[in-house]
Amino acid sequence: MPPYISIGGYSDPPLMTYLSVEVNKGEMVVVAGPPGSGKSNLIKSMAGIRGFSKGSMKILGSRPWTLRSRQETVFVFQNWNFLPDLPIRIQLERKVALYRGVSPRTVRMLVDRWCDDVELAGTIDRYPGQLNRSDLQMLALAPVALARPAVAILDEPMVNLSSIRVSSALEIILSVLENGAVLALAQGRSPLVNRADRVVNLA
Amino acid sequence: MKGSNTYYYRESVSLLLRTKWVSPYLLIPPMLAFMVYAEAFLAAHGVAGISTLGQRTVLAIWNGAFLLALIAGIKSCLFFSGTWGAGWFRNSLALPVSRSSGYWGVYLAVLTVSTGVFILTIGAVIAALPGPSRFPLAHIIGEAYLPVIWAVSMGAFLGILTSGTGGAFFFTSLILLGFAAGLPLISIPGWLHFVIPPLGRLMTLGMRYPQGLYQVVVILVHSALFLVMGRLMFGIAARRK
Repeated sequence: MPPYISIGGYSDPPLMTYLSVEVNKGEMVVVAGPPGSGKSNLIKSMAGIRGFSKGSMKILGSRPWTLRSRQETVFVFQNWNFLPDLPIRIQLERKVALYRGVSPRTVRMLVDRWCDDVELAGTIDRYPGQLNRSDLQMLALAPVALARPAVAILDEPMVNLSSIRVSSALEIILSVLENGAVLALAQGRSPLVNRADRVVNLA
Repeated sequence: MKGSNTYYYRESVSLLLRTKWVSPYLLIPPMLAFMVYAEAFLAAHGVAGISTLGQRTVLAIWNGAFLLALIAGIKSCLFFSGTWGAGWFRNSLALPVSRSSGYWGVYLAVLTVSTGVFILTIGAVIAALPGPSRFPLAHIIGEAYLPVIWAVSMGAFLGILTSGTGGAFFFTSLILLGFAAGLPLISIPGWLHFVIPPLGRLMTLGMRYPQGLYQVVVILVHSALFLVMGRLMFGIAARRK
């Protein structure tokens, strides 16, 4: 079986000069590096919203910017990617609906149930500006939990979480491994490093 | 089915229907209705030497179209530039939606809201008129809608090209020139109409009787051209940063 994620000879100087990594089904690989080492640029390149100078990338056998690979991949960017002017509920429901292809009513039910499970039910109808960083970071993981993606690519998913949310977030991320693969970009001290199958350290 | 091409349309409509975006638009219909009503009242009392009811109708519709095009264009420049330049929008291109809909969906959302306000405006104007007009209203309304399409299309082009404020300033200059150039006292070389849309010319021709197929075609081509140029630039911008 071909790897779910494959990066070959990726280069984005001056931040990152060389990276090759493969992630197979059931694996979580962490690319660890200090702030400013090019991790955020890497996830943007993988999402096809940023060019890079050298190398190749494939997600589920397709180039990352194709619709086919995006249909099975959830990207979680740093800083949550919530629109400041709409309630969280609308944003989450629309995002989850893109992956699940079920009725709006079902999506609403799924989102509500998940928010109950992670004790965020009181936050869902608020605007992003009214929530703290830890809650926003947790809510940004909702598509990972609800979309059932084959691939999750996450940029610093634990960095803003309060200590009481870390284990729930880890559980969500690890649940992807049942049917998929995870590539997480994190700093060296992230809790993800201890749970990863492999860690690739950036210089 | 996974994925959707209406994602950006729905996000944009939600944003556009917030009070701060809609409120300036909603001032237009009552303002125009009041103008039309006041004009009819003054004419009935011999204060204003106004022409026929038909001409008043056409003038009122064009006033509405002009005001709306101006506001829609300025707001389009600000909205398109703000949306396409925002971090959330850029990152949302990683969602399973067609990248193309990031341009067309946002454009159609602005056009839908502007069209809704156009319909309200025309409805308010017609309701404020004292009696039915003998002018072919459907034709006039169709022509008066063109500046709105043009304004939103130009807003899309300028929104991707430059900052919201810069785009709005340039747009205002262009639309004012486009209208002024059609007034009887102002003549400009014919070739300049390819740069400046013949909005004023369409209006003055429409005042006599609905006509001006050439102007209609030029404005539509103008709109389509800038819309396509905007789409090309959107494609380039989406991959560059």
